[in-house]
This record gives sequence, structure tokens and C-alpha cells, in this order.
Amino acid sequence: MPQFLPLSAPVRAASALSMIAVGALVLTGCTSGATTTSSSEPVTGGTLIYATGDAEPTCLDPHVGGNYPQALVATQYLESLVSLDTDGTPIPWLAAEWTPADDGLSWEFTLHDGVTFTDGTALDAAAIKTNIEHIQDPATGSSTGYLALQKVTSVDVVSPEVVRLVLSSPDSGLLESLSQPWLAIESPTALARGTDINCESPVGTGPFMVTAWDRQNSITLERNPDFTTGPADAAGDGPYLDTIVWRFVPDSATRYAALASGEVDVIDNAQPDAIVASRSDDAIEELDAPRPGASNRLELNSGKAPFDDERVREAFIRSADINDGITSLFFGTAERSYSVLSSVEPLGTSTPDLFTIDTDAANTLLDEAGWTRDSADGIRSKDGVPLTVRFPVSTNQSIPAEQSLFEQIQATTRAVGFDVQLEPLDLSSWYGALGENQYDLVSAPYTKVGPDVLRILFDSSGITPAPSGYFANHSQINDPALDLLLEQASAAPDATERASLYADAQKIIVGRYFVLPLYDQQNHFLFRSDVQGLRAMPTVSTPTFAESWLDR
Amino acid sequence: MVATSAALLLFLLTAAVLPGLLAPGNPLAIAPLEAFQPPSAAHLLGTDESGRDLYTRIIHGAGPSLLIGAFATVIGLGLGGVLGAIAGLGPHWVDAGTTRFVEVLFAFPGLLLALLFIVIAGPGPLTSTVAVGLATAPGYARLVRTQVLAVRRSAYVESAIVLGRGWWRRLVRHIAPNVGGTLFVLVTLGIGQSIVWASALSYLGLGVSPPAAEWGAMLSAGRTYVGSFWWLTFFPGLAIVLSAASTTLLGRHLQQRTRSS
Amino acid sequence: MSALRWTVGRLGGLVFVLWAAATLTFFTLRLIPGDPAEAVLGGPGSQASEEALAAARAEYGLDQPLVVQYLTQLARYARFDFGTSYALRQPVAQVIGDQLAGTIALAVMALALAWVLALLVAVWSTRSGRLAAGIGTGLEVVAVAIPHFWLATSLVLLFSSTLGWLPALSGSSAAGLVLPVITLAIPLAGFIGQVMRESLLDALSSPFVLAARTRGETATGVIWRHALRHAALPAIGLSGWAFGSLVSGAVVVETIFARPGIGRSLLSAVQARDVPLVTGIVLIVALAYSVVTTATDFFERIADPRLRLAAVA
Repeated sequence: MPQFLPLSAPVRAASALSMIAVGALVLTGCTSGATTTSSSEPVTGGTLIYATGDAEPTCLDPHVGGNYPQALVATQYLESLVSLDTDGTPIPWLAAEWTPADDGLSWEFTLHDGVTFTDGTALDAAAIKTNIEHIQDPATGSSTGYLALQKVTSVDVVSPEVVRLVLSSPDSGLLESLSQPWLAIESPTALARGTDINCESPVGTGPFMVTAWDRQNSITLERNPDFTTGPADAAGDGPYLDTIVWRFVPDSATRYAALASGEVDVIDNAQPDAIVASRSDDAIEELDAPRPGASNRLELNSGKAPFDDERVREAFIRSADINDGITSLFFGTAERSYSVLSSVEPLGTSTPDLFTIDTDAANTLLDEAGWTRDSADGIRSKDGVPLTVRFPVSTNQSIPAEQSLFEQIQATTRAVGFDVQLEPLDLSSWYGALGENQYDLVSAPYTKVGPDVLRILFDSSGITPAPSGYFANHSQINDPALDLLLEQASAAPDATERASLYADAQKIIVGRYFVLPLYDQQNHFLFRSDVQGLRAMPTVSTPTFAESWLDR
Repeated sequence: MVATSAALLLFLLTAAVLPGLLAPGNPLAIAPLEAFQPPSAAHLLGTDESGRDLYTRIIHGAGPSLLIGAFATVIGLGLGGVLGAIAGLGPHWVDAGTTRFVEVLFAFPGLLLALLFIVIAGPGPLTSTVAVGLATAPGYARLVRTQVLAVRRSAYVESAIVLGRGWWRRLVRHIAPNVGGTLFVLVTLGIGQSIVWASALSYLGLGVSPPAAEWGAMLSAGRTYVGSFWWLTFFPGLAIVLSAASTTLLGRHLQQRTRSS
Repeated sequence: MSALRWTVGRLGGLVFVLWAAATLTFFTLRLIPGDPAEAVLGGPGSQASEEALAAARAEYGLDQPLVVQYLTQLARYARFDFGTSYALRQPVAQVIGDQLAGTIALAVMALALAWVLALLVAVWSTRSGRLAAGIGTGLEVVAVAIPHFWLATSLVLLFSSTLGWLPALSGSSAAGLVLPVITLAIPLAGFIGQVMRESLLDALSSPFVLAARTRGETATGVIWRHALRHAALPAIGLSGWAFGSLVSGAVVVETIFARPGIGRSLLSAVQARDVPLVTGIVLIVALAYSVVTTATDFFERIADPRLRLAAVA
């Protein structure tokens, strides 16, 4: 149901395996207008109601599985070893400091003193070891965290405050990986209770703690009275709120109506028309926090006909006219992207020239490729096979505006002879269609910190499906030169060299027309203007209420 | 009133058969920069989210929408009617068996039947139609059975039995016309209802493939914008209501004529 | 005597319906493409390893032959063990127990409101002349043709956003129930009213009503005492169907008003391919439906002397 269906985002973050020095660029300024300002002093107390349009997690421990809905809520009760500042520089969180060995094959983290989990367990080196082993244990069923820790071979307890991570090969993407909520640190005592219980009531060191989970309705989070930590860039000395009620409101229109009438204080997954409507309402403010990693983009399946022919791919991209559609459907809330990476990724390269519309050129390319136009309906064909492009659309992941944009792509590419078949599918069927290679075009969001997302999405190893049929390389690029570039980039010791390697890699991906970038992964929050001190984490752009209070 | 509905029905049928006659434009032609325009001289009923002319889309949508409505009703009523008639007319054990079977079908909420069918068969107009037909069949079956039973045990059928009329004659002369009245109303209602059902499937993201100009799909697509741009849902909704109303009114009129004759 | 036989027959029927529903669900769900073990391990798009999948299959008996799985499941149901939901990691009985009351409250109130609305419109419009008849038909046709999702959104816009009278989110408060109940009741009222008025008109022109009139009963008396009774028959029969349609409607309404309930669980369970939960909900709906049908049968007997006589005879 537009987003009647939970606008779920089984967006997977994945490992950062790149090799750069601490403090290299990862992510910048994803918090435009992120922090609300107020002249008044923080007020303690009160209940904040958050209405989420994302799917209800099946497990509140983000180690298990690891998707965006889990990250959103876990940000409120779990903390990570490190965080990032708005420039993307790693900053202390649970770990006060860290040092990599000279050979890059081990890292030592020194923990803050006197931190306890909300169940009273002390945060020590052994707890970190337990957490990392929990994520790496196949029985946990972690996918996101598991991938991020692929290079970690063992964890040593050096002293109660110092823990050493031993790597199989250098991985300076380690800090960005550890900053993600999917690798947050939980109480070892709580983890020992077993998956089912821990999924219901995970225990961390965060500003709030999970006190109740009323399925299909809400999660109740209450203030952690002994909260001591917080990332190095945290403001104030919160948490101030007594309680957060995390409500699941799958319907976008209801969500906005509830915000407008003051029934709830914050909503996520705000739809473009609601954002525009809210601008005339003084009681509502906006937080725009595009997610890091890949941009929203169409991927052209180069693994089979017709998109195995670069000319056909170029013809498609040259005829898919979307700029006017993005302007009108998103009412100016989304900006057209010409990069395979999110605009918050400093290493993303934007190449508008590659995406100029030229239907004459498209027609010529298709003629050259042997696709002729002799049927009455204007659809081209070759050897009796029509130029059909199958496009499974996940109605859970693509918002209504995006689905309308796909219809416009269908219309504009038809003018040069493509027959795009839009197939709206529920999430399971959608994954099924991808797993069976029954697609030519697909839009699949992917969140992760850093440009290493390119290796997940475009390395040839990503074509081989997992046993479940899942694979990440939807454009099915199989190019040894690209594989090599991505590997070199992830191991590049020098920031400049790394940047140039990623630029070369992107040149191949967009230059050979494997993707059509649309816009950043939209992540709009609307909130009542009496909610103060709300900001999005510079890591994966989830909002945090650690510094929020209610000015009423 | 009858004349109005007859005229309306004629108009809808013309739209279904010869849409180009009433709306020469292309229902799929997009114009993003003209999206969300309110009704005007240029666009009689306004434009939708892709700048497509709503009037053109509604006219061209008559065919697919009425087809889905009619076919789904035929499937539902056909299945349901046969089951209901068997149950109502047959000997006691047949009634019991069939009734049980219908009850089992009932055990599946209609929407679940539809959802499962679509998940198994894959989305598409045909799937939606059959799904809606399946979902509505048990309801018809039960209703038909109740009607048949009531009529069969009514005085005039009893007297026909006393008079020694054969069962076929009883069915044709007495039961069918009496049950038919209710059925006819159900059919006329069913068409609109089926279109609405199909739109609910679209709302669930499992309806007719875009960009087909089908009323239910248009209604579902426009729902996001119901607060800002009312015409996106109002006119497709009106089309559904008007077609349902005109078939119902006409159906009632015909029924009254048969009753009084 | 006949009452006892009726009761025994009903009970037998109930068991049969539950068995058949479980059987049908079991085999239908196996037709859905995809591996149920994946649903256990985090649902669609999971990156579960082959070992984890194998372990999940073993744990849930999915590696057994289909017949064995089927019989095992039936045996479990016979012991009132509904298994554990794949996606929610909670016992199915508990999930349903938590959600059932809300949906039943919603459905019962909607059904009651629909009946009241239908009755009022039907009686008023058959008695008050041609114009009223026209208006009545119009109302019913429009009501039937309004999809739940559109009605719900419009009501939220009007009563929550614009007027601020009622909450958009349906919580535990009574005010939160108003909009969902109205949303479900209106289309249903249209359907019931339509059928009821048809039969009412039939009844009014039937011999027994004419007989009553010749006995000197008033028009009002005739309608309430005789005609409505006859007219209620098909509409009562429809209530069984209506209950099923309410469950379907609940899927949409519970989602829009963010209200926990069986309908919403059912939708997410189908989407997550959560076989135990889907089956559990089907069984509970089947049970509820059987209860409603028994009740409607009972009322039909009361409303229609012909059926009562037939049963006695």
C-alpha cells in the first residue's frame, strides 16, 4: 500500500575492506540542516513518539541479519567502538583511542573507563571479544556485520581496557566498518541468553534501553539513567527524554497526518508531497540526511541479452529522460545524481555528460546493434525477438514517486523502440526474480559507509549468488580490470592514489553504461518544531535522540 | 433515471470498444512538466503525476476496467452459483458436502486467496482478474444456496411439487426466476465491486502492471496525492461509481419489469 | 432431538472445515516459489549460508518428505500446538492471542454499524417514495464502490488533519476505533443494504404481506414484523460472507491506521512466507467463520419460519 507497505529498506551495509590510514576521507556533510537549534536550555523529561515507515525488524539485535530498520532503532540503545564526525573522520566512542600496528595486520583499541551496560555488566575488552565472535558465529545469522569483519581472524584481550583485533590482511576500512550500527557493542551477559531473548531485549550502553516491544505496534525505549558515553562529537549532557515510543506506521499518508495533528513528534520516510506541504507549516521542520554508499540507480543486467551489448545499454541510457520527472515527482526534494556513489561520498565522481539525452544517437546505436524497427507498435526486434526489457520493481522499496518515474522511463525509452515491462512485486518475489536472473533492469538500494561499496556492488565475485540466491552485482559486470582497480583501491596506502583508483573504477562503471544514476537514497525526516537537538549520525544517517529534548 | 443510466452505460460501452472516438489522445503519453495540473480547458479532468491527461486515461481505461470487473464477476458468480445451486437443489448429502466445501473456501479470507494466487501465478491483469473472482466466489455460493433453499421451500414450489411438476420445470419456472432476481443485483453490484477489489490489489502493490490505464490502478496510484491533488483519485473513483450505479439501476429496472409482468 | 443432531452435525462440520483449511493452506503454501528455510533465516534477500539453511531445514523438519511434514503438522495441530512463527520468533498461538482481540472488536463493531446503516437506509428508502428510493440506491452503490484504502485516507484527512477531531493512529483508545470502524462499515453497509432492499421489495409484494395487510396491520407493522424478517434472510446469509470480507478489509485498515491485528499480521506473514503464522491465522479465521455461520444459520431459522418448519419436519 504505497507506501502502505512498510517502506522497508533491507538495505544492506557491508564491509569496508579498503586500506587507508586512519582519518582518511569517508563521508562528509550528510547532515545538512541536521541539528536543530534553540535558544532555550535543554529540558529533562517527556515522551517522544517516533513513527517509522520502515518495516518492523524481526530482531532488535542488529548483529542478526543487519538492515536499515534495525539500524534506525538500534542507534537509540546501542553504541559502537568508534563514530565519524561530519567530515567522515573516525572519532572516539566506546573506544577512547586506537592504534594500528605498523604492518596494518592488527589494531589495538583502548576502551573508556567505567562504562557499564544497562544490565550492570562492565564494558571491558572481553566484552568486545564476545561481540565480535558473536557477529562472526554463523549461528548468529549476521550478514552485514559478518561481511564487515571478514578480515578479522582473532580478537585478543590485552588487558581489561585494551583489545586487539588481528587481521588476515590490512584493512583500513575497519574503522568505518566498526562505526556502523550493525557492529554495535552489546552486553555479553545479555548475548549469552540466546538469540530469541536477545532479539527481544538487546542490552547496550546507549542513551536509551529497550523496555517493551509490542509487536506490530511499538517499541518502548526508556532513558538510561547511567548513560556516560556518547560519541566524541555529542552535544550537551543528555539523554533528556524519559521515554521514546517507536511506533510502526506503515502508511505514509497516516504518518504525515499523525505528525501534522501532533499525535507523533517525528516521522521518517517522508514522501515528497508531504515534505513540500510541511514547508508551509511552522510547527513542522525537516531533516534531510541522504544515506551514504551507493546512489539510487538503475542497473542494467549486462549478463544477458539485450544489455550484454554496450550499444544497447548506451541507447537505453541516452533515451531514458528522467530530469523533468524527478523535478515534478519529487517537487524539488531530490536532486538528480550523475554518480554511482551518494553525494555524501567525497570520492564520488559526477559525470553529467555521459547521461545527456540523445534519441537520434540512441536510434543509430540500436540500428547498428541489429535491432530493427519494423513492427507496427514501434518496438524494435532482432531475429524475431522483440526488444523487451524486464524490470521487476519492489513495491516495498520503491516509493510511489519512484514507481511513477519508472513509468516515465518506460514511456521515453519506448520512443526509440524499447519495450520495458514493469513488474510490481512484493519483496520475496522480487528477490526471487533477481535470484533467477529474470530481470534486465533493477533498482536496488545499498547503504554502506565509504566508496568500498563499489567493490560489493560491481566486483565480479558479486555475481555468484549466495545459497539463498542473493547477490549484489546486479549489473553483472564481469571485468577483471575493474576487479583489479577495486582491489588496489581498497589496499591503497595513499589517499590521493586511492581517490584516483576509485575515479578510474567509476569511469568504467558509468562509462560503459552499466548504471543509470537517479538520485541519492532519500532519507527525509519531518519533526515537530518543539523537538530540539535532533541530528542524524554521520555514519549511516540514522537519527539519534541522545541529545534531544522537548521544548514545550 | 433509467434513461440516464442507459445513456451512461452506452457511453461507457462506447469508451470500452472505441476509446479513440471519445478521446483521440494517447493515454500513455507523458509530459512530466505538466504533471498535477488541475482540471482546465486543456485538460478536462486535469493531469496525473506524469502529466498524462486524465480524461484520456479514464476513457481508455473503460475497456480494461470493465473487462476485469465483468470477468472477475463471471468467474466468481459462475463458481459460486454452481456450488450454491448444487447445494440448494441437490439431495441432503450433496448439500452438506458442497456447503462444507464452500465453508472451507470461506475459511480463507478473500484477500488471502487473492494474494496467494498472485504470489504463485505472478502479477498481471489476468492473474488479478482470476484472483478477484476466486476471492468473491464463496460469498456468491453461500448467498445462492440460501436463496435457492428459501425459494425451494416456499409455498409456490411446494404447490408445484404437489401438482406433480418435474424438478426441471420447477427449477426453470419457479426457482431460477426467483433466485435470478437477487443474482442479477449481485452481478450489477459485482462489477463495480470487482473493480474495487482489483484496486485494493493495486494498493497492495500487486495489481495491473503499470502504466495501463485501469481505473483501480489509477485510483491506487493517485492515493498518495489525495491530500494535495484531489482529481487524481476523484475522477477514476467517479468512473467506478458511475459504472456500478448505471449497471445496478438498469438491472433493477429490468428486474422490476420481470416482476410486474 | 433435531436440535441435538443439528449441534453434533455442526461440530463435525467445524472439525472438517478446520482440517480442510489446514490441508489446503499447507499444500498451497508449498506452491509458492522459494525456500521456506530462507524465511526462517531473516526472510527475503538473506545471505544465509548453505549450512545455516540446512540447519534451519532440519530444525523445522523441512528436510522430511512432504507427507511426513504434513502428518507431523496435523498431529501438532491436534495437540493445539501451532508452532513458532519463522519471522517473529514467537509461538504462533501467542502472536495470534496478542492480535485477535483487536481485530474481533473492529470486525464486530463494523458489522454492527453496517447492519444499522443498511437497515435504516433500506427501510427509509422503500417507504418514502421514488426519490428516496433513488437516493437509497445511490448511497448504496457509492458505498459499495468505495475502496477501503481511499476511504480511510480521506477520513484521516478530514477528521484528523483538517478538523482534528479524531486521531489518525488507532491506539487502544475508543476514539481511535471510530475511523477504522467507519471505514470498514460503509462499503459493507452498501452491500448488505442493497441485498436487503431487494428482498424487502420482494417481500412487500408477496402474498403473505398482502395477507397481513388485509388483516388490517399497519404499513409500519407489516415492514417490521413481516417483511423485514423475510428480507433479512439473504442479508443474514451475507453476514457470514461479510465476516470474511471484514478480515480482508482489516488488512488494509489495520495497515493504514497503524493498528495491530490479525489482518496486518496476515499480510506480513504472506509476504515473509511465514508458513506457520499464515496457517495459524487461517485456522483461527476458519474457526471464527464457523462460529459466525452457525450463528447466522441459527438466526435464519428464527427469521424464516419455512426453514424452521423444514428443520422440524
